[in-house]
Amino acid sequence: MTYLEDIVVGAKRSFGHYEVTAAEIIDYGKLYDDQPFHTDPEAAKDSVFGGLIASGWHTCAMFMRMACDAQDPDHGLAGLGSPGFDDLKWLMPVRPGDILSAQTKVLSATPSRSKHDRGTVRIQIRIFNQKDEAVLEMISMGRYLRRPAEATAET
Amino acid sequence: MRYFEDIEVGEVWDLGQREVDEAEIVEFATKYDPQPFHIDAVAAVESFFGGLIASGWHTSAIMMGLLAGSIKSQKLDAQGAPGVDQCRWLVPVRPGDVLHGRATVLAIRPSNTRPMGLVTLRTEVFNQGDAKVAQMQGTGMYGCRPATKVGDGA
Repeated sequence: MTYLEDIVVGAKRSFGHYEVTAAEIIDYGKLYDDQPFHTDPEAAKDSVFGGLIASGWHTCAMFMRMACDAQDPDHGLAGLGSPGFDDLKWLMPVRPGDILSAQTKVLSATPSRSKHDRGTVRIQIRIFNQKDEAVLEMISMGRYLRRPAEATAET
Repeated sequence: MRYFEDIEVGEVWDLGQREVDEAEIVEFATKYDPQPFHIDAVAAVESFFGGLIASGWHTSAIMMGLLAGSIKSQKLDAQGAPGVDQCRWLVPVRPGDVLHGRATVLAIRPSNTRPMGLVTLRTEVFNQGDAKVAQMQGTGMYGCRPATKVGDGA
């Protein structure tokens, strides 16, 4: 179990290898972002993007999968889930054949003022393609429990 | 076709509704967020959430799905989005929830360099009990009305 006190501010990680396919882009687009440049390779050629691109939300989902795969199975990813994210920027389109990876850096780990058993961690996330171009960045949040007081008294 | 020039600050778009079942929650999370409280109904009972809940990224995907449906039905010339300033997952989405949404136009700004404009929306999604499950504020790009030659249509 990872507690708030275990999170090291400034800690950096690099992980992930996600191969993006046209079929997956289209599947996601049809279900959740039905716009021609996500679902129709021919129509996408005439769009401002000049070809099929992944939904920006699909890129977020691909990041989440890379984060889950990189997680130590004995540790909760964020014990209490996530309240959301800030400052998401889709910097470049993600296209079929791209290979994505991620870099994260812990920005802060702050105890809650109102709920004394938990706190919030803010993490800067950047996703890169195979040319090392940043395609997405955001600041994500996770909620963690604080280490119970009695645990620190044990010797 | 509805263009950037046709969009006004204060407009509210009804995004319609969409039901979320357990199979879809598990399928999405198996692909993109395989944590026990998203993919295992039995293990989820023991979790902080007390039962299976949708990945926040699934909630956002449904929000986008509702918005894309509105863009299509309004025949808006949407051309992608640079980003989202803030997104909050407020209440867990659970199997059987029927979500509905609305988007409010907060600001509009023409592009200085391209024949398009930026539209800032606050998009909100509610469950069948009218509890707000998610809210985001983000900006999208919409094409401008194509210029017509002087004398056309006169």
